[in-house]
Amino acid sequence: MPGRVEIRNIRKAYGSFLALDDVSLDIAPGEFLTLLGPSGSGKTTLLNVLAGFVRPDSGSITIDGAEFLLLPPHKRNLGMVFQNYALFPHMSVRRNVGYPLRLRGVSGAELDRRVEEALGLVQMAHLADRGVNALSGGQRQRVALARAIVFEPSILLMDEPLSALDKKLREHMQLELKRLHDRLGTTTVYVTHDQREALTLSDRIAVVNGGKIVQLGTPDEIYDRPKNKFVADFIGETRFLPVETGASGALLYGRPLRTRDDWKGATGEKPWLVIRPERLRWKGDESQTANRIEAETTDIIYQGDSYLITVRMPDGAELDLRRGPDLGGKDLPERGQPIQLWLDREHTILVADKS
Amino acid sequence: MTMVLNHPGIADADHNADALKRQGSRERRVLASLTLPGAILIFLVLILPIGWLFWLSFFGPSGEPTLENYTRMLKPIYVRTFISTFEVAGLVTLVCVLLGYPVAYLLSQLSERTAGLLMIFVVLPFWTSVLVRTYAWLVLLQRTGLVNTWLIDAGVISTPLPLVHNMLGTVIGMVHVMLPFLILPLYASMRAIDSVYMRAAANCGATPSQAFRQVFLPMSLPGLAAGVALVFVLCLGFFVTPALLGGGRVAMWAMQIANNISVYGNWGAASALGVVLLVVTGIILYVFKRLFRVDSFEGVR
Amino acid sequence: MHKSVKRGLITATAWAVLSTTAMAADTLTLAGLGGKVQEDLTATLFKPSAEKIGAELRTESHDGIAAVRVQVQSGAPGWDVAHLGAEDCAIGAAEGLFEPIDYSVVNGDGIPEGVRAKDWIATNTYSVVLAWRTDKYGDNPPKDWKDFWDVEKFPGRRALSVYPQEMMEIALLGDGVERDKVYPLDTKRSLAALEKIKPSVSVWWTSGAQSAQLLKDGEVDMEAIWGSRIAGVIADGAPVKFTYQDGVIGFGCVAILKGSKNVAAAQKLVANIVSPEIQARIPTMMGYYGPSNKKAFEAKQFSADVLTQSNASPENAAKQVTMQPTWWSENIQDVQEDFKNLIVQ
Ligand SMILES: Nc1ncnc2c1ncn2[C@@H]1O[C@H](COP(=O)(O)OP(=O)(O)O)[C@@H](O)[C@H]1O
Ligand SMILES: [Mg+2]
Repeated sequence: MPGRVEIRNIRKAYGSFLALDDVSLDIAPGEFLTLLGPSGSGKTTLLNVLAGFVRPDSGSITIDGAEFLLLPPHKRNLGMVFQNYALFPHMSVRRNVGYPLRLRGVSGAELDRRVEEALGLVQMAHLADRGVNALSGGQRQRVALARAIVFEPSILLMDEPLSALDKKLREHMQLELKRLHDRLGTTTVYVTHDQREALTLSDRIAVVNGGKIVQLGTPDEIYDRPKNKFVADFIGETRFLPVETGASGALLYGRPLRTRDDWKGATGEKPWLVIRPERLRWKGDESQTANRIEAETTDIIYQGDSYLITVRMPDGAELDLRRGPDLGGKDLPERGQPIQLWLDREHTILVADKS
Repeated sequence: MTMVLNHPGIADADHNADALKRQGSRERRVLASLTLPGAILIFLVLILPIGWLFWLSFFGPSGEPTLENYTRMLKPIYVRTFISTFEVAGLVTLVCVLLGYPVAYLLSQLSERTAGLLMIFVVLPFWTSVLVRTYAWLVLLQRTGLVNTWLIDAGVISTPLPLVHNMLGTVIGMVHVMLPFLILPLYASMRAIDSVYMRAAANCGATPSQAFRQVFLPMSLPGLAAGVALVFVLCLGFFVTPALLGGGRVAMWAMQIANNISVYGNWGAASALGVVLLVVTGIILYVFKRLFRVDSFEGVR
Repeated sequence: MHKSVKRGLITATAWAVLSTTAMAADTLTLAGLGGKVQEDLTATLFKPSAEKIGAELRTESHDGIAAVRVQVQSGAPGWDVAHLGAEDCAIGAAEGLFEPIDYSVVNGDGIPEGVRAKDWIATNTYSVVLAWRTDKYGDNPPKDWKDFWDVEKFPGRRALSVYPQEMMEIALLGDGVERDKVYPLDTKRSLAALEKIKPSVSVWWTSGAQSAQLLKDGEVDMEAIWGSRIAGVIADGAPVKFTYQDGVIGFGCVAILKGSKNVAAAQKLVANIVSPEIQARIPTMMGYYGPSNKKAFEAKQFSADVLTQSNASPENAAKQVTMQPTWWSENIQDVQEDFKNLIVQ
């Protein structure tokens, strides 16, 4: 399958500020790859370099081995969904979607058929003759998507396409995007700052920070094996606890901590234990002292789908844990009471400040 | 068991309805009263005088009711003036569009700073009096003027070109005055076109020139329409420049209105001319608006 | 209805008027057309006249009969006396804008019949003359309007005014009408004559400044122009000459605004302005202008130079046609429309 993208050593500076710092990345044909990172990390810049809107200072992009970087934007044959959709306000839905085809010389029944098909894919066929200003945010989103895929581009680029939608619609659209990708198999580069969205959609995630890719991996790798504190923090509802390393192994609040991996940090670098609310247990073998945390319950909040329980460590640090609602209100810890927590060995993740 | 949603002690659900309604209408009155000064001003300086103008146009010089002020306009001089007024306005507007669009586009593509500096040159004509500007054009364009002298000295022509004292001179002079009125609204609307649309067009496969014609140009049309309407209407009321640069041959409706008041003292006739100009201009603007949908893109296909 | 409407137009000016009336009774306000001409007229005629009657004189400017009309219609004008072109005085008189001139106070002898009207009186003259470029015509210049109309003997570019006053008279003279047969104007014949010359008229000028510019820059070779304007062109050293032959003498005039609070004093002022003694100041102080009162030339001895220059000296006046403002006031609208129709393309 064609469409292998190789991004090599892309640099882009704005004055003395490095927006892209030697970015290299391979994208496999048909892959759904997400650039995930905080605002200002350089995601849009990288996407715009791909699309041809930003000229990098140096580097190379090849598609199936052919240099791509020097092509003008209109010759790149990439579909792109812009953050604010960028639908042409003077064209109807139908004309917007047909525009890339007309530029490619498609006309008549063929044009109509393909526009209809693309609109059908995003369930917008019934609004084909509307003006785009008469559409809701979600509808515009779909039209923008239809316009980006109608000419069957080799690669589809999307820059935070769902960020303007409300939560419910966003989640719904995520599913649709995923389904669409499964169906079309178009290589997709997707930009978001929403880690949950990235986890939901992606085959692989590239976590971007400060113009660099700090970790590249599948969603479970990113979630369960964050390379450093930044990635761990950015993904999930993460809390960190300080871990002591001694001759006898790792210690958490003086208790032994058995970890999944040995700590391989540099000497003098202190590891942090990554704690996510859904990974903590509060039922366990009372005699087991390893991986045990003693704390005090400070808050219990009913959130519908779960209970969020906040506990305080002896040193004042707070942790959250989550418990399913299946037992009703029974069997919950009591506020102000001590509580014992266990962390399974396979869920202990140690990270350093930097890696 | 039935649920009691009402708070105990509240007898019926209509409770407070009247008070809330009163509160609502009071709020509306307060808000409306804020627009009152504006409405009064518009009534006093716009509606009232125009209504009065209309009323006056049905009376002769000595106060007798008559349609004479309107039938008079069938005379050849008025018919000609009427046609030439709209011809001049149309021509000037057209030239303004041809010259002003590229300038506005250039400005819109520059940084705000540079554009702001260059804009000074665009609005420069505003800072000289109409009369000075007009005489300056005479000096440039007449037979013995700079342009003809240069051309003859350079051997391009042997006899002076008739650049002024005709329609051409009128159009040149008026375009100079009117160009800023086209460029300013057009520039503002072009600035408001997010560059993302041009990127989107390129992404769809449009070459820069296709993107310009198929996306930028149509999106700049509302601003262009505003500028065109402004220039056209202002042209209709011009007479100093056409009188001087037209060599007396270019007749404008506004001159006839001025004559009717200042020379003949005939308010009724002048009012009738004003009313006709107002009505025709209104009709043209309405048609124009319908054609170009100045107000929105809605439903454009 | 008309009256009430007109009154409504103007009430605002009443405020200005209040302050005027509060002043001493012998303060007179005179409004003229402004500019250099008004300055000169004030120094030559108005100021000395006011001094003679011991009145304080204030001068203001207006831009024609329309402004005067508005003042009068306000019911309490801010001006006592207006100086205008004679056709405008005649138009204003027909509209009843003026107080009658009291000829028991004002001595009109020596002022031509047609410009010594019931409600207004001429104060000065000017001439519309034929001027040409000497670098074009050399020793064989056009002598009169017949030559102006002879495009074969005198090829060249011509200019006339966009306003029909004086141009209609000139056209008749150019068509061969005798000077004393010009009035009442045969408008048909005049327009036909203009139609004939039209192809050679390259500019119809709109303002005095423009007419001077045209000749000075050589934009046209001959034109009809105000004598006072040609003076400046010659003074600038342009190769230009003119002749009073077949010139048209027009008039400036004064009238007392209806509703003035100082009518008696104003009558005295007017009496002095038109008196031969004061009028005799014009030929020396305002070259190319002339007195309206013929007796001015008897009241004082003038040098030969001054007499050749003044448009109203007996010798120059004899070569010219005297305009009849009343005819114009009665016909202006129709004539102007026809004239305009002729010149627009
Ligand atoms: N045209 C530009 N000039 C200067 N700085 C820019 C420009 N475009 C982007 N930047 C900077 O580059 C950094 C990365 O921007 P961007 O790629 O848009 O981030 P994001 O990850 O939020 O999409 C930001 O700090 C931004 O301020
Ligand atoms: Mg971004």
